[in-house]
Amino acid sequence: MTHKRSIIFFWALFLVPTLIMAGAAFTLLSHEQDRISESARTALVERARTVCESIHLTIETVQGNLVQSLLDLDPQQLEKHLIQWEQTNPLIRNVFIWQKKQNEPYLEYPLRGMASTREERWFIARYDALFTGRIPFDFNREELNTEHLNKESENKPLSGSGSAHAQYDADQKMPGKSSRQTLFSMSRLTSKSASDETAFRKSGANPPGRVEQSGWIPWFSENRLFILGWVQKYETGPVYGVELEFMTLLSQLVTDFPTELQKNSAMVLMDGYDTHMHQAGQLQIDPEQKPLALIPVSPRLPHWRLGVFTDTHAGPANRGFLYISLLLLGVFISAIVSGGILLTRATLANMKDAQQKTSFVSSVSHELKTPLTSIRMYAELLLSKRVQDETRIRTYLSVIVDESHRLTRLINNVLDFGRLEQGKKKYQYSVIDLADFLDHIVQAHSIRIHSSGMQIFKKYRKLDYTIRTDRDALEQVVLNLLDNALKYAAQGKFILFILEKENDFFVLKICDDGPGISRIHREKIFERFHRVDDSLSAKQPGSGLGLTIARQILRDLGGDLNVEPMPGNGSCFTARIKHHDAD
Amino acid sequence: MEQMKMSCKKIIVIAVVWCVCVFPLESVRAEGVRAAISGQNLVCRVETDRAVLPAGSSQDVVLKITLDAPPVPGHVQRPPVNLSLVLDQSGSMGGVKIEQAKAAAVEALRRLGQQDIFSVVVYDSNVATIVPAQHAQNVQGIIRMIDQIRAGGSTALFGGVSQGASEIRKHIEEDFIHRIVLLSDGLANVGPRMPEDLGRLGAALIKENISVSTVGVGTDYNEDLMARLARESDGNTYFVESGYDLPGIFAAELGDVLNVVAKQVKVTVTLPEDVTAVEIIGREGRIRGQKIELFMNQLYGDQEKYALIKVKIPPSAAGTKRKIAQADVKYENPFSKKIEQSSGISYASFSQDSKKITESTNVDVVKEYQLNLNALAQEKAIALSDKGQKKEAVQELKKSAARLKSMGAQYKDERLLDQADALEVQAQKIEEKGMTKKDRKILRTESYQQLFQQKSQE
Repeated sequence: MTHKRSIIFFWALFLVPTLIMAGAAFTLLSHEQDRISESARTALVERARTVCESIHLTIETVQGNLVQSLLDLDPQQLEKHLIQWEQTNPLIRNVFIWQKKQNEPYLEYPLRGMASTREERWFIARYDALFTGRIPFDFNREELNTEHLNKESENKPLSGSGSAHAQYDADQKMPGKSSRQTLFSMSRLTSKSASDETAFRKSGANPPGRVEQSGWIPWFSENRLFILGWVQKYETGPVYGVELEFMTLLSQLVTDFPTELQKNSAMVLMDGYDTHMHQAGQLQIDPEQKPLALIPVSPRLPHWRLGVFTDTHAGPANRGFLYISLLLLGVFISAIVSGGILLTRATLANMKDAQQKTSFVSSVSHELKTPLTSIRMYAELLLSKRVQDETRIRTYLSVIVDESHRLTRLINNVLDFGRLEQGKKKYQYSVIDLADFLDHIVQAHSIRIHSSGMQIFKKYRKLDYTIRTDRDALEQVVLNLLDNALKYAAQGKFILFILEKENDFFVLKICDDGPGISRIHREKIFERFHRVDDSLSAKQPGSGLGLTIARQILRDLGGDLNVEPMPGNGSCFTARIKHHDAD
Repeated sequence: MEQMKMSCKKIIVIAVVWCVCVFPLESVRAEGVRAAISGQNLVCRVETDRAVLPAGSSQDVVLKITLDAPPVPGHVQRPPVNLSLVLDQSGSMGGVKIEQAKAAAVEALRRLGQQDIFSVVVYDSNVATIVPAQHAQNVQGIIRMIDQIRAGGSTALFGGVSQGASEIRKHIEEDFIHRIVLLSDGLANVGPRMPEDLGRLGAALIKENISVSTVGVGTDYNEDLMARLARESDGNTYFVESGYDLPGIFAAELGDVLNVVAKQVKVTVTLPEDVTAVEIIGREGRIRGQKIELFMNQLYGDQEKYALIKVKIPPSAAGTKRKIAQADVKYENPFSKKIEQSSGISYASFSQDSKKITESTNVDVVKEYQLNLNALAQEKAIALSDKGQKKEAVQELKKSAARLKSMGAQYKDERLLDQADALEVQAQKIEEKGMTKKDRKILRTESYQQLFQQKSQE
């Protein structure tokens, strides 16, 4: 018992640090998961910034190209080229030519009234403040200048032969055509509309009065953003320009958004009213959900922002690392705990085995010694010739023979147990009549049974009991059961042999009206070395192997052995015996 | 009565769709053989509502500029088509609708030839290209890609059309008939969603020769948005109540696309110096002094498209005859790939004989004028109903119905009378139950088809 406690104690000593380590590992893994999630979020935000920068550069380049193209227009055929441009270029929504005539603002194109389409009339109404001279075209110059200074290097496209053109040319060489490239090509004027102004400009000559002012005006009207670009080539010349087709710009920009975002994240382009203008990423965004980050898209699109959203109820997708790690940790702990349990169980079983073996050796020694003592005592008596009475001599010799048989059965059991344990027992099948076979054994042992004070009853159903089985093995089973009954049910009054047939099995029952077997021992009596009373001073001799051997033999022969209580007192051992067909 | 009319309409539509489905392109080509005999040029006609006008007073005259498209020539290979299907796969499309949309996509694919380009874009909250633009060669492979489409998510309609346009642009430089067919059953809830915004997108796409035809399924989509997008990009617009009609609609639409006989149609109407343009009825156009400019993207084989313009003419003496207008049409012939032109002139004589004037009425012009006014009245009724002015909307429809009835009776025209009856029933229904989603969609689609004659002639 002390040993058992020690083992459990040591196992617990081993288990506790394991669990502590597991807890520590779980905490570390959680932190690691948080770190991974945080770095994924940071990467997503950085990616969103890159998208914004790309949008900004694209718009800036497009606007730069457009201004350049406007400046390149032939001043002699300005209206014609502008109209042609508006009719064919998806990026241009409206065009205009405006100038001051005798200090009065005058819109040369589009003309007010029926000469304009409905769209042009809306256009005129939209920019009424500019076209009526209430607001100068360069009212946001300061803002633009600040931006220009901040982004000086990036604004080179405005200079005509800058990086936008270089970028455009580079893009042309690339296979396929991105939306950005399409936009760049749309924003450039076809060569036939340009005059020799380009060559003239490149020559560096600057005629008097030439100012080349330009600007872009983000204009809010009817809850929408409009963008107007204008140029003025000469101080006294007209101001002319284009209104960007914002939907074309947006339509082209959104097709270049990243498409391979994770399922639990999204980038959402939002206008100044937080309307979702485009979404990239599969995440279903709750209207109340706050974005992880809101990044201004471009100074050219005031109030437009790119929102970065991630799933706040982190699903399996972004906690994969934690879940896999926890799974591994769980497997590791389970392996340790189950290994510990198995080792403890094996140790305890080994301890029990060792104890049972010690008890077995003592019992067998005792069992061997008892008949040997009788044999030796009666043999010595006969040898001394002090006993002359023939009857007594016969009795003594009979005891010697009985005890020898008992010794033989004991030794046979021990030998058979060894063979059965190693699976080396071989069976010899022959055809027998089970009823005759049982009668013969009962007859042979009737003296022993009667001398135990028990009566013999038989109850055979009238059936054909011819069976092919191992006769000797079956005899050993019956003898073990008979011995068991004689040992433990000797205080009973009868022993009953029943033969019957159930399905494919012949059933042999050996029942007695002895004290019976308690419920807790009913299965254990078939375990090896088990004895209900295993002390040396037990009332009944025995090795604790008889029933184990009997069940094992029957199972090897395809049957089984069980015990049931008899109604009232006693036990009934039921052997199911299977018929073996000849090979 | 109304139900009977609707049933008749349905039977006609089914019959037409059946014809389109059963008779493949070869039948279109056979038609073209007759075309080759009858000549290939687009005919431009300019007519006034009366050939004889009252003398001695200034008056408004309605001009009808009709373009009669020739049939598809049979001996010439038809121009290749660059078709992008943009399909709604939002959650509401689940079940029959998405399955029928897929079947419709396959139907469209099967009607294309190897020289054509085909792409499929799907959209829910996101946009994805299921079939990138490619020649319609590997049909089985493309069908397998289409089979992967599953419904779920929101409706990013703008993104879908943008992506569809992006697929079209891959072959924009080549000589294709470019067409996007957009299908939706719900309200756009991601991206620009106002009809004006989508209209602007359509207006920009038409500059790249890309037309968008829109197909609304069920009663929950935004018909204003779909009609506007189609109108601005010179596409067709359809309303189907159930997904089962989709394959037929796609086949009919593709029939139109494969039938294009004139692209980039520009009409310039020149008026004499003393004739003034008052207004262009229904269509968008530009009045620059004596010149009126109109633009139509494309005409289908055997189609008649027209524009109505109201002009004011000065008083003229009885017995005189004068030129009222001249129309010049320039268009690109997709078969010869050349710019061709056609023109028509209208003359009117003046008289004081009112009988002569009445007898000279051009019923066709008057009828189309009335039907266009009716379409505008329908648009106005929708706007009034949207403002909650049901009574005024009903009045508007009834007034238009009465006008149609009176004209129908005067000129004994069945079409006008039928239209008047249908409108009266509809007005009655709206008066009793209010304007249902379905009523609104029918009115919007009908008025669109009347004003722009976009539906192919059946």
